[in-house]
Amino acid sequence: MTPALPDILRGNFMALAIPGPPEQQGEFMTGRVGVIALLSLLAAQEVERGTQTRVWENAAISAVLAEAAETYGVQYAEIASTGPVDLSLEALDRANAALRRGLIALHEAVEAAGDLLRHKMIVGLYGQMAERRNLELPPLPAR
Amino acid sequence: MSDLKAGLEAYLTDLWGAPTSVSNLSRIPGGASRETYRLDADTGGVTRGMILRRDPPGSLIETDRRLEFLAYRTVHGHVPVPQAVALEEDGGPLDRPFFLMERIDGGTVPSPFVFDPYAEHAAALGAQFFTTLGRLAALPHEGTPIREVAEAPAPEDCWRIALDHWSGVIEADEQHPQPIVRAAVRWLYRHPPPPAQRVSIVHGDYRTGNFMHDGAGTILAILDWEMAHLGDPIEDLGWAFDPLWNHFDENRVAGLVPQAEAIALWEAASGLKVDPKALAWWSLFNAVKGQAIWTSAAKEYRDGGFTDPILAISGWYTARRHDVILARRLAQLEGI
Repeated sequence: MTPALPDILRGNFMALAIPGPPEQQGEFMTGRVGVIALLSLLAAQEVERGTQTRVWENAAISAVLAEAAETYGVQYAEIASTGPVDLSLEALDRANAALRRGLIALHEAVEAAGDLLRHKMIVGLYGQMAERRNLELPPLPAR
Repeated sequence: MSDLKAGLEAYLTDLWGAPTSVSNLSRIPGGASRETYRLDADTGGVTRGMILRRDPPGSLIETDRRLEFLAYRTVHGHVPVPQAVALEEDGGPLDRPFFLMERIDGGTVPSPFVFDPYAEHAAALGAQFFTTLGRLAALPHEGTPIREVAEAPAPEDCWRIALDHWSGVIEADEQHPQPIVRAAVRWLYRHPPPPAQRVSIVHGDYRTGNFMHDGAGTILAILDWEMAHLGDPIEDLGWAFDPLWNHFDENRVAGLVPQAEAIALWEAASGLKVDPKALAWWSLFNAVKGQAIWTSAAKEYRDGGFTDPILAISGWYTARRHDVILARRLAQLEGI
C-alpha cells in the first residue's frame, strides 16, 4: 500500500516546516494541523501492527499461490517463494508487491477456469487482508 | 501583499472595469482537487463576498475546471448552489486556471469523518439532500451550459464509460498492486447493470461533506461539482450511500436518514425507480471509483514531495477503508 509510513512522517514534518503565504495561515493551517494530528494517530497503529500484518499477508498469499501451483503452473510456486530480505517495512512491502501481482494473475486464471471454490477462497482472503490492514479512525466529535 | 492578492486585484479590476481591492483573503481547509479561498472584493464602495477555486500544482482528481464552472451555471436556480461569476482557463494573473463564484455565508460544512454532525437536524437535512438529488436526476439538460463540454452517452453505455474511466485511472496511477479493487473491476465488467432509465446530470461527488447547511436544518448549497458529467443518476445515489460517508452510523446513509427513506425521497423527486440490481452494481462501482481517487491521491502525494496531508490521508486511510468496503461487497455478491 502507499504511501509508506516514512513518507507520511517526513511529509508531516515538511507540511509544518515549510512556511505558507499569509492567506494560508489561520483557518487553513488549523485544519492542516488537525489532519496531521490524525495522520500521527494512524501512524501509531501502523507502527504497532504494520510489520505483523505484512508478515501475515505475505504468508497467506504465499500459501494460496503454492497450493495452486500444481493446477495453474509452476510459476506460482516460484512467486510463492518470494520472501523479504529483512523485516523492514520496505522489504516486506517489496515482497508483498511481488506476491500480490502473483495473486492477481492467479485470480484471473481462476476466474477464467470457472474454478468457483478457489475463487471464493481468494475473495475470502481479500476480506481478511483488508480487515487486517484497516486503520481505525476514532469517531471524532463534530465542531 | 501576497502575489495571490495582487493577482486577484488586477484580474477583478480588469473584469469589472473599475479599481477593485481584495481583503480578508484566506484559504479554506479541505479541497484537495482545487485550492479554495474566500475573499471580499471591494469596488467603488460595494463589497462582494466571493470564493476562488484555483487549480493546485498537484490534484486529487484531474478535472476540467470549465466543466465545473458550467455545471454551476446549469444547475443554478434548480439546485442550491452559488452563482458562478468568472472563469479563467489559462490562469492569467493567478498562474494557474481558476474560477470565481459568489460566496454563501452563514453555513457550515462538516468533515465526513466526525460523529453525528447533523444531530437533531439529520432527518430534515436528509429529506432536502435526497430530494435535491432526485430533482437533479429529473433536470432537463438539452441546450444547457454543461452540454457545451459534456456529451450525453447512450443509456446502455453509461456504466461502461464510467468503469472504463475509473479502472483506467487505477491502471495509470497504481504504485502498489491492488488485488481487491482489480477483482471488483472484473466483477463489474462481467455483470453489467440495466441501462440507465434516464441520462441525467450526475454530480459525481454527491455526499456528506459536500453540502453546506445553516445549522438549523436547511441546506444552503451543494458544492464541489468538479466531477459532474452526464450519466446514470443511480451513480450519485450509490456514492451518497457509500459506507465511507456514513459518519460511523450503520443505520443511516450519509449520517442523515435510513437508506429506504432516502430511496423513497429520491424516487418521489426524480420520477424514477431504483432497481436493486442497478443500485448493487453502482454501489460496487462507487467503491472502485473511490479507490481510484485514493490511488491518484497517493501518486500525487508522492509527486508533490509529500507535503499535502490531505493527499496523505486520502491515499492511506480512505484507501484502506475502501478495500474493506470492496471486499465486503464482493463477498456479499458472491454469496460468501
